[in-house]
Amino acid sequence: MAVPSRPGFSAQTLAVLAALCPEPSRWRHGYALAKQTGLKSGTLYPILIRLADRGLVEARWQDEPQPGRPRRHLYRLTADGLASATAALSSVAGPARRAEAQSRSGRRVAAPGAP
Amino acid sequence: MTRLSRGCAAAGRAAARLLPAERREWAEALWAEAHQVPPGLPRLAWRAGGLRLIAREATMARRLASALLFAGAAALAARAAWPGPPASATTTAARVDVIIIVLLLAVLPLLVHRLRGSATGSRLARFLRTGSYAAILALTAAKASVERFAGYPAPAHRPQPPASWLVRPAGTRAPGGGFAGWVLAAQEGLFRPTGGHVPSGAAPGPPPAVHYWTGEILFVLVIACYVAVILAVTARRSSVAPATLAIGTGAGAGLGVVMYAVAPLGLAKHATNPWLPGSAADPLVVLAWVALLGGPLAAGLLAARHHRRLHGPMSPGAGWIRQSTVAGLLTTLVGALLVTSAGTGTIALMPRASWLMHWLYPGQHLAAAAHGHELAASGAAAGYLVLLLAFPVIGLGAGAWGGISAAEVPGGPGPGGGPPGPGPSPDPPDGGRSAEAGGDADRLLLGVLDFEEDRTRDLVGANGH
Repeated sequence: MAVPSRPGFSAQTLAVLAALCPEPSRWRHGYALAKQTGLKSGTLYPILIRLADRGLVEARWQDEPQPGRPRRHLYRLTADGLASATAALSSVAGPARRAEAQSRSGRRVAAPGAP
Repeated sequence: MTRLSRGCAAAGRAAARLLPAERREWAEALWAEAHQVPPGLPRLAWRAGGLRLIAREATMARRLASALLFAGAAALAARAAWPGPPASATTTAARVDVIIIVLLLAVLPLLVHRLRGSATGSRLARFLRTGSYAAILALTAAKASVERFAGYPAPAHRPQPPASWLVRPAGTRAPGGGFAGWVLAAQEGLFRPTGGHVPSGAAPGPPPAVHYWTGEILFVLVIACYVAVILAVTARRSSVAPATLAIGTGAGAGLGVVMYAVAPLGLAKHATNPWLPGSAADPLVVLAWVALLGGPLAAGLLAARHHRRLHGPMSPGAGWIRQSTVAGLLTTLVGALLVTSAGTGTIALMPRASWLMHWLYPGQHLAAAAHGHELAASGAAAGYLVLLLAFPVIGLGAGAWGGISAAEVPGGPGPGGGPPGPGPSPDPPDGGRSAEAGGDADRLLLGVLDFEEDRTRDLVGANGH
């Protein structure tokens, strides 16, 4: 079933917001976000860029890089980002839950007549 | 695989330089993160995503599409200009022309980019650049076709046209003489310097090589100047205001359409064309003169007044004169390009499109008459180079005059007669978009403002998800 999305956020953007939302104060790496959301780097990073442009996500470079490896970029939600993400995710979750409930009840109703 | 991954990383780092500074760190972040991804295919896929990010952010897709579009249009122009007897000067000149002009169109943007920055992102600037490129390529192809037709005898299956079709004083060919007569009189061709006057009963022959090549060099130089000016005024570091660009382009389009209606379409007057019968073409000729002299002047006035509204009456460096001059110049550049490419294109199509011949010369379907018309029009096409040369001079003068005249108008942009205008005001943060509408100039500029709002909406939309 298609997930209804809040106007202004695509399903992929909502996935990124959902990944950042549970621990908004924790800095996250791009690869971790990609693994959690299942998004490819070419999709994830443009989303992070747009969210940062809109002030919903803040980004910074790692203070102390791992030896022999370049510094990593870190991301977390801003206060505005957290508010927007919470609102967007709850607006999606409500209709989605209702639609799923209707679907289940529809199946139950349809079941007696089904072959 | 490792080598491939390393190659991909190197390509990505090089490509990241294409990004604007504020986006480059995002590409670097993605690249740094690749070290956390398991080696092999997953890391390669991660880096491929980085290339995709760079391509998207650097608007490479648009650039690539533009390059492909240009290559396709250039190939079409070359295909149209290439045929012809291999030993003839006409064929050689057409081929050399198309090669040099395609090279100019490809190289000049790089030079202008170094001097004035890249193209502005506005729709109008993109439209102006694309339109002028299309017009120049079409003109190059059409010019080759016209020269090929005018420079060589009629096909063997066609009877030779009667002399009366070919030897005709320029003034009598033109509708109402005057402007169009001047246009057609210019057929002492720079495209074909031996001229369009063909000796009675004889087919026109190739012109002397020196004259021929002088004309070709002049043509290429004029086109180079047109391209350079259009690229410069649409560059990011250009001082030309978007409103000036809009005014000049709009006025130029109007001028081009009126001129096109006069010639080649007006050529049909003597052929009793039902939609331009007899003296009905005369008002059109008058309108053409008015548009030629008054168009750049009005555009200059409008641009100066708009500049004054945004920057105050005492803007430094007489910026309003610069705006008015550019508006006038742009009016004539756009008008000349439009009428030249469309006019030469129409003439080039005449031998191929019978419907066009019947439209221009209804009822005259005899092969000899048709060939005569084609030949006369082909000779007249040389006059378009005169338009290309003369129009910008008129535009520069009239535009500058418009700017100076605007200073003389009470409340005009500079010190002059009449009561002083309102004092200088700071630039509004929105570029004057919300300035109170008032005055004729502003009413005429509503279209410009709408355009600016469209552009803003586009930019906002591009940042959306």
